[in-house]
Amino acid sequence: MRRNSGPWLAWALLVLALLLIALSESGAVSPLTSVLGTVISPIERGVSTFVDVLGSFGRSTRDIQTLQEQVEALETQNDALLQENFRLREYQAENRELRRQLNFAQENPTYDLVGADVVEQGCVVYPCGKVVGEDTNPYLSYIIISVGSRSGVAVGMPVVTGGAAMVGRVVRTSPSLSYVQLINDPESQLSAMLQQSRVNGIVEGSMDGEILMTDILPDESVNVGETVVTSSLGGMLPRGLILGQVEEIDYQESDLFQRAQIRPAVDFRRLETVLVVTEFPQPNLEELETP
Amino acid sequence: MSLYFGIPILLVAAVLQSAWLEDLHVLGGRPDLVLLLTVTWSIIRGSNEGALWGFVGGVFSDVLSGGAFGLWTLTLTLVSFLAGQPWVHALGPTLIRLAMMALVGTLVSHLGLVGLMTLLGYPVDIGRAIRMVAGPAALLNVLLSPFAFTFLVWFHRRAQRRPGSFAE
Repeated sequence: MRRNSGPWLAWALLVLALLLIALSESGAVSPLTSVLGTVISPIERGVSTFVDVLGSFGRSTRDIQTLQEQVEALETQNDALLQENFRLREYQAENRELRRQLNFAQENPTYDLVGADVVEQGCVVYPCGKVVGEDTNPYLSYIIISVGSRSGVAVGMPVVTGGAAMVGRVVRTSPSLSYVQLINDPESQLSAMLQQSRVNGIVEGSMDGEILMTDILPDESVNVGETVVTSSLGGMLPRGLILGQVEEIDYQESDLFQRAQIRPAVDFRRLETVLVVTEFPQPNLEELETP
Repeated sequence: MSLYFGIPILLVAAVLQSAWLEDLHVLGGRPDLVLLLTVTWSIIRGSNEGALWGFVGGVFSDVLSGGAFGLWTLTLTLVSFLAGQPWVHALGPTLIRLAMMALVGTLVSHLGLVGLMTLLGYPVDIGRAIRMVAGPAALLNVLLSPFAFTFLVWFHRRAQRRPGSFAE
């Protein structure tokens, strides 16, 4: 190529790039990204493994490595116990709610009542993905995992760690890679509730990477330390996936809603392996449509 | 044609950016490897080849991003095209030009990225973006630019010597 061959090529490339953005918004570039993703995924996996191996070789002594393994094992154990504890508390709260409903039925014997779950949690298929990279765009809180549409992963599916702590949702897939929007991304919004007080709200990410629970009514009682879990409102997520704990509550009398700062249940920088929830029972929302 | 070795270099750079550099925090930020290579190539070979490298590097970076496809492609093509313009030669010796273009190119590309994301409705705090991401990245890119230059010049010369290679 000649250095002085006129700027037509550069202009053509700039126009093509603009066209790509426009087509991307309409979803027309998906076949192209799928093909490129298929080509890149083995390289990404290979480099990721190489970086991991290189990182482990870099540690200076065997003792440090052993200690680190012990700490990691204990941390994993601790995480598992914490999450088990969260789940038990979730069952306890559910039990309390069911007892209340039973009391209501016993106190009102003339009523006809039909019990129903909002959305039952019960995921049946969990493709397991290794986190192979982070988004090249530094303004997006996304990760890239090593399972894609070939393993049944689709856009919108929730992604969790082994102990049912929610990591994020799939926003794009290629045959062998998936792009997961973390729950601290500014565009992430999930319906959530506080585990103990059963208060509903919206958990959203922020531009500085923090997680906030908003839309909590002013008269609701919110306590620091309460566990925040996903609610089944909207039917997009299974109920009870752990999001974090309330760290701080922000409310002034002039505000319409309370806002709570959430400490995430997951350290997003240390994610290695995740599970994608590909199926969970969902309510038939079509039945809500009026005839 | 420089893309014979440009494609593998840019592909590996984009993968390293995603699998390794995004985890790395030096001086509070991380370098932009693909950007650094495309700007450097533009200084060495001119704006047309720079734009071509920017386009290819941008496509690879976009494949490894969950955002709208084309954001990196547009910004890297534009910045690499500008870095190879004839008026840049008036800025001084190659290494000075390179450092200046690495600095300005990084800031312009990040501003472009943030601007495009804002246009597409994605919330980005511009002040924080410059302070926490673009600023440190620009500084690191300036520090790494001599290494990128040496690496690409070595490749350039090697490829030129080979019969039937990209060089004309």
